[in-house]
Amino acid sequence: MSNENLYQEISESIINLDKDKALELANSAIREGMDLLEVIEKGFGDGIRHIGNLWDEGEIFLPELMLGGTILQEALSIILPHLKEQSQSISMGKVVIATIEGDIHSIGKTIVGTMLSANGFDVRDLGADVPVHKIIEEAEEFKADLIGISALLTTTMIGQKKLIDRLKEKGIRSNFKIILGGAPVSAGWAEECGADGYAGNAIDAVKLVKKILDK
Amino acid sequence: MSELFNEWLGNKSKIVLFDGGMGTEIIKRGISLGKLPDLLNIEEPDVISEIHGEYYNAGSDMVQTNTFGASMLNLQNHKLESRIEEINKKALGNIKRACPSGKLIVGDIGPSGVFKPPIGKATIEQWQSSFKKQAIILEDGVNLWHVETISDIEEMIAAIRAIKEVSTKPIISSMTYKHTKRGFFTVMGDPIEKCVEIQETEGASVIGANCTLGSEEMIDLAKELINHANKPVSIKPNAGKPRLEHGTKTVYDQLAEDFARDIKKMIDLGVKIVGGCCGTSPETIKAIKKLIQ
Repeated sequence: MSNENLYQEISESIINLDKDKALELANSAIREGMDLLEVIEKGFGDGIRHIGNLWDEGEIFLPELMLGGTILQEALSIILPHLKEQSQSISMGKVVIATIEGDIHSIGKTIVGTMLSANGFDVRDLGADVPVHKIIEEAEEFKADLIGISALLTTTMIGQKKLIDRLKEKGIRSNFKIILGGAPVSAGWAEECGADGYAGNAIDAVKLVKKILDK
Repeated sequence: MSELFNEWLGNKSKIVLFDGGMGTEIIKRGISLGKLPDLLNIEEPDVISEIHGEYYNAGSDMVQTNTFGASMLNLQNHKLESRIEEINKKALGNIKRACPSGKLIVGDIGPSGVFKPPIGKATIEQWQSSFKKQAIILEDGVNLWHVETISDIEEMIAAIRAIKEVSTKPIISSMTYKHTKRGFFTVMGDPIEKCVEIQETEGASVIGANCTLGSEEMIDLAKELINHANKPVSIKPNAGKPRLEHGTKTVYDQLAEDFARDIKKMIDLGVKIVGGCCGTSPETIKAIKKLIQ
């Protein structure tokens, strides 16, 4: 099977919410020694973006959306350990990543975390609905170089600014680079918050982090 | 006093004016909503009572208790379950102080905040038991019920059954719908006609919709509700779509007069109970009152 065909088959397994097929394809991609970064982005990532579009268009609803996300995360958990073997062994830097408090959307953030790991960054993923003080504590404890904060709702993106304001109040803003992501987030918003950058998808996020950390 | 509500429903020329949003009114007074606005029943009782009073003064025939999030499961989400009795009782006290004679108190029940599989782990029995605990406390002081902003028809079933276990008072049953290319659905995928049928079978007195949609989008939804429902229809839209100001404040720009004009269109279609949800204020209720007088 050509790579392109496999990517398409993976994408379809996510769109069809076919968990067995998705996990089987994840395992076969590992067995065949494929470039797992491409498998994630062009296969699984493509599928989950389709699911997102179907949600926007009202073709599917919350149960299907959540199921798609769960299948994706299971597939990623199979691939991730192998991806680390493929990537450089020297850490490119330490990153703490989280979805902000009040927001349970984790798929986009998980993909960004996975891609950063795959590119040699040491990533601590704090999950979703994480309070500002918790993110700061973890970043300090982990001695992170960069914090990535995701927000998928206009009502929760305020939390991204709150985090940066809190770091300033504590006089430790310059200890970390900060990037923002999430559907309602824009470069303008990142600038207004005083963040170091914004990325609209996982590939751009990796480029951005490399640029900011000068790697 | 439940008879008064039934009398209003039976009176063809009577349009029942409900209240508007609570959150924006609290913020206007410089108070932070915190994690759970229901806790303000205890921390800021005068403010809550004052807001209820403003709605009654603006012309609302009935106003709902500040208990949207005070069901057992939702309080558990905020680690406040031990305060369920205190929060709901204080809420009753706050609205009783504000309610003039001849007007009604509505017991407000919002979503539990937990979902059934595959999203969460809630069961219909858990929902029902959670809503029942809240309903037992509120039954003491309310004239009727409003179950609102529910996005899973099974959760609505649980809420109606819970109320019916402890109360014989009328129930307004409001789902919240998303507008898709294929029509109106809950985010769980329940189509409007299925929801209406189940709400009526379960014994709701009024079939409603609230939140998510602004007043303009709600007009088409109102048409569909009226087409499908045999019971009277209630509508509480948002004041358009919110916008972030200076990245810190959620603002609703729609003018009260524009909102009221949309409400008037829905009344002309046959909607019986009207009010507002997020972003609406006593000004909105005054504007509606002016148009329906």
